[in-house]
Amino acid sequence: MASFTASSVSFSAVSCSFKQNKVSSLGKASLSFSGNGSPSRRLPALRFRVSCAAKPETVNKVVDIVRKQLALPADRDVSGESKFATLGADSLDTVEIVMGLEEEFGISVEEESAQSITTVQDAADLIEKLLEKK
Amino acid sequence: MALKLNAINFQSPKCPSFALPPVASLRSPKFFMASTLRSGSKEVETVKKPFGPPREVHIQVTHSMPPQKIEIFKSMEDWAETNILVHLKPVEKCWQPQDFLPDPASDGFQDQIKELRERAKEIPDDYFVVLVGDMITEEALPTYQTMLNTLDGVRDETGASPTSWAIWNRAWTAEENRHGDLLNKYLYLCGRVDMKQIEKTIQYLIGSGMDPRTENNPYLGFIYTSFQERATFISHGNTARLARDHGDLKLAQICGTIASDEKRHETAYTKIVEKLFEIDPDGTVLAFADMMRKKISMPAHLMYDGRDDNLFDHFSAVAQRLGVYTAKDYADILEHLVGRWKVENLTGLSAEGQKAQDYVCGLASRIRRLEERAQGRAKQAPRVRFSWIYDREVQL
Repeated sequence: MASFTASSVSFSAVSCSFKQNKVSSLGKASLSFSGNGSPSRRLPALRFRVSCAAKPETVNKVVDIVRKQLALPADRDVSGESKFATLGADSLDTVEIVMGLEEEFGISVEEESAQSITTVQDAADLIEKLLEKK
Repeated sequence: MALKLNAINFQSPKCPSFALPPVASLRSPKFFMASTLRSGSKEVETVKKPFGPPREVHIQVTHSMPPQKIEIFKSMEDWAETNILVHLKPVEKCWQPQDFLPDPASDGFQDQIKELRERAKEIPDDYFVVLVGDMITEEALPTYQTMLNTLDGVRDETGASPTSWAIWNRAWTAEENRHGDLLNKYLYLCGRVDMKQIEKTIQYLIGSGMDPRTENNPYLGFIYTSFQERATFISHGNTARLARDHGDLKLAQICGTIASDEKRHETAYTKIVEKLFEIDPDGTVLAFADMMRKKISMPAHLMYDGRDDNLFDHFSAVAQRLGVYTAKDYADILEHLVGRWKVENLTGLSAEGQKAQDYVCGLASRIRRLEERAQGRAKQAPRVRFSWIYDREVQL
């Protein structure tokens, strides 16, 4: 467990067949970290919210688009965990961010999926899922 | 200054909505105009109990204008008398609904009714859905008079207050009252619509009220009414045009006459806000941005007919498709007001004021871009039954 890295990237190597409902039954019992590995970033407790986690490059591109849309100062921290609402995005911003992501990645996001995006990570994960389907 | 926050807290979860057409989503044109119903924004939420009208679940903010600003409105009373009351029409010069309806005292009464019904037969159901929605909106007038009288500094304190503001409120209400009366009588006579369902919808709507989030604040209130009057002017103007296209010149006259009242009212309200921009540019631009961020919600967005949980969304989808009132109109109105009030040229604003100025000046093109995008991807919408037309179906 010591080599467990904070980012969920390591899981993407594993087959992306972890469906959310399957994992949650595993999650409670077997995956308990005692924190002695001092991960470089605090892992939100094992949220396998989507079946696959996105590459850092994707997350970074999303972060760039979000920064631009919300005109965030350089010293404002934005990461995968950042919630759009907390960053000050209103509903119009969120839609424009999704539009920006569509343009950047050449994908098309469905209404229902767009509505479920609340964090940068959500957006990045969805993007990769859509890219895979292409 | 004390902000009273009343948490209106309906704990019941939202009712699962029946198969929703993709009309009320973030990406659709309706995003801006409607309903805070399912807008995707967490700012305002609406819940529906089964067999009950939608209700808004959000914290109602009250009295957000600092009390010292009430003075501004007191000091404007003489100015209002000279500059605003002049936009009212003396009653003796006003049209009345009877001017546009079959004359019960005439021998030709029954023939006139027959002709009216013949003309109405040529008009399609989807037009009637929109006309009915507009009529229901007009008939909820008690709500709007109430709303004007919630505003600090300009309310009619006694119901017979002699202040210019109170005179305006009452006389405006009196003029508007004719709109609902006229449309009601026309729809009653035309035979194309289910009056009982319509009447039920009106009763629900007046019972529900509305919260345009104007917070007892006349800055917000008059910006809201400026927007709304222009919106109704455009909307009735379009129903007039469509009536003419369908060959009913009398109905076109009805809608056109109502539209001209709305134009006069728009002139008055925009003049008030123009004066506010002169007196307090910073406060007014902040108010403008605030209202636009909250989105101008339509007065009848809580409409319910006892059957359709998404009645307002369905109605606005039809209004959008027919071109009676669209997301493009929303953007156009915003752009018009920005120009009318010369928001781009405001100077001496605070940092917050400048942000508000930027927001408001840039917003119309953002909306248009979104709308273009949504239109480009619009999927075929379903057909939906409307109880107002005896459950006949109309294309959304």
